[in-house]
Amino acid sequence: MRRVRIGVVGRMIGVLVVLGIAVFPIYWMFTTALSSDADLFAAQPRLVPDFGQFGVFVDALADGPTLTWLRNSTIVAVGTTALSIVLGIPLAYALSRFSFRGKVAVGLLLLMTQMLPEALMVVPLFSLYRRFELLDSLVGLVLANTAFVLPIVALVLKGAIDGVPRELEEAARVDGSRPLTVLLRINVPIIAPAIAAAAVIAFFHAWNEYVFAVTFIFNKALQPASVGLAGFVGEQGTAIQTIMAVAFMFTLPAVAFYLFAQKYVVSGMTAGAVKG
Amino acid sequence: MSAEQAGAGVALRRRRRSPLGSRWTPYIFLLPAAAYIFLFQAIPLVQEIYLSFTRTNLLNPTRSVWVGLENYEKIFASAGFQQTLLTTLGYVIACVVGAVGSGLGVALLLNGRFPGRGIARALVTVPWAAPGIATALIATWMLNAQYGIITRVLRAIGVDVGESGILDNPDLALVAILATTIWQLFPFVAVVLLSALQSVPAELTEAAEMDGANRWWSFRVVTWQVIKPTVGLVALLMTIWSLRRFELIWLMTRGGPLGTTRTLVIDLYSQAFDSKQLGNAAAIGMVGIVIALIVVVGSSLVSRAAERGA
Repeated sequence: MRRVRIGVVGRMIGVLVVLGIAVFPIYWMFTTALSSDADLFAAQPRLVPDFGQFGVFVDALADGPTLTWLRNSTIVAVGTTALSIVLGIPLAYALSRFSFRGKVAVGLLLLMTQMLPEALMVVPLFSLYRRFELLDSLVGLVLANTAFVLPIVALVLKGAIDGVPRELEEAARVDGSRPLTVLLRINVPIIAPAIAAAAVIAFFHAWNEYVFAVTFIFNKALQPASVGLAGFVGEQGTAIQTIMAVAFMFTLPAVAFYLFAQKYVVSGMTAGAVKG
Repeated sequence: MSAEQAGAGVALRRRRRSPLGSRWTPYIFLLPAAAYIFLFQAIPLVQEIYLSFTRTNLLNPTRSVWVGLENYEKIFASAGFQQTLLTTLGYVIACVVGAVGSGLGVALLLNGRFPGRGIARALVTVPWAAPGIATALIATWMLNAQYGIITRVLRAIGVDVGESGILDNPDLALVAILATTIWQLFPFVAVVLLSALQSVPAELTEAAEMDGANRWWSFRVVTWQVIKPTVGLVALLMTIWSLRRFELIWLMTRGGPLGTTRTLVIDLYSQAFDSKQLGNAAAIGMVGIVIALIVVVGSSLVSRAAERGA
């Protein structure tokens, strides 16, 4: 009995240490944002946030380009989400419900996209974009991001469609519905939670994306927040508190939504790797 | 009325041919996404392969000269590229071992019974959910040469990190990048392995322990056997992701100091956009893709052999 209790206590201590390591950098981001200059550069730094400094968040939003950045990020993320869901649902349905020639090739193609670094594809896409005037355009970012997130979205949705009983479809098909109608009327409402999760994945993939954005966008008014934030690195003019405040506002929605979608993200990604 | 009947008739005829519509139906569903991936992934990839056999300048990309294998000969002859390959190899191996090891440890820790388990499982995923840019920024600040909290703590306990700070120290920069990468990755590994651990039948571990087996023995004989395929899968994912990781390294060190953190992807990007040598950059990218392909094919052969052996 005593051994069991010591086991639980030991485990609790281990868990607390792990959670400390996991959460501390985000906490430190918040604390740094809410520190006065004196605290920040003192020999003994302040370890808890000074809520008297909360104005830094307001100022970061009011002055400077933060709101424009967040707006651009939102546009790119919403566009990527919409396009990848619209393309992903039929792809997932084909992979889940049909056996056809070339299915293995499609699977391999999806696996291949997981291996291609964005930094490699950025060069050929750059020349493609120059020809079609997609440089300096948020539409260009949406198109590039969708190509990279579409396979994951499709695999998450395929997993969900696999779980929909075929009998439900059979009944509708006897009534004479076409396959597309069956997909939209029967499957889509049932897999709505998975669609929401896939949307979260696509949204934050685009929200976080940096390589395409930094290479394809020259106009400062069109920069998304990832590029704007990265521009702070090595730059002297901006106070570290402001940088951390913007970084925190950029991080918070991603963390909040991922906690909700986590289960689907994990199963979708591992399924993708297993089955190719 | 009659139109409806006709419609039903068509559907019936179609049903007779196949339970799921005509045999073209799957391709119609497939077409939009396949065309999209073809346009935005396959064509650029082919173009990149072609570029790797040419001398092409970023500023004048339409005028490219076919040079055959020259780019490949050049990069493999350069000492800098050999260092890049070694750095990449070291980085990938350390990432996989570090992330899978720590992730497995955390998964085992979280798999037990303790109060607040649900909250702990959610909070542990925070590093993985945080955007890479934000992670690079906070890590850079925490490692700041004068005021960074990590630098301060290390100095306080007497570790010499040098005047210019950890990220400018050729001996420590890669270690710092690795630590940041593993911080980012371990939650993913932990969550995936935790779900695998939950499929280990409790009766089996209990039976093993009742037979007098110690914890380690029952882990090896029962638990490890069940989670082994998942561990292999996660290790494969970590390898592929680490081979293509860009923004974290680029923002923290840009491949420096002295090229000690320059991986293949960093090298490729700076060849393309700093040196403007698209041919060279493409050749470096191809080396990366070949390595990734070898890993993927090799691991699928190994797992197939293991299945046959079992």
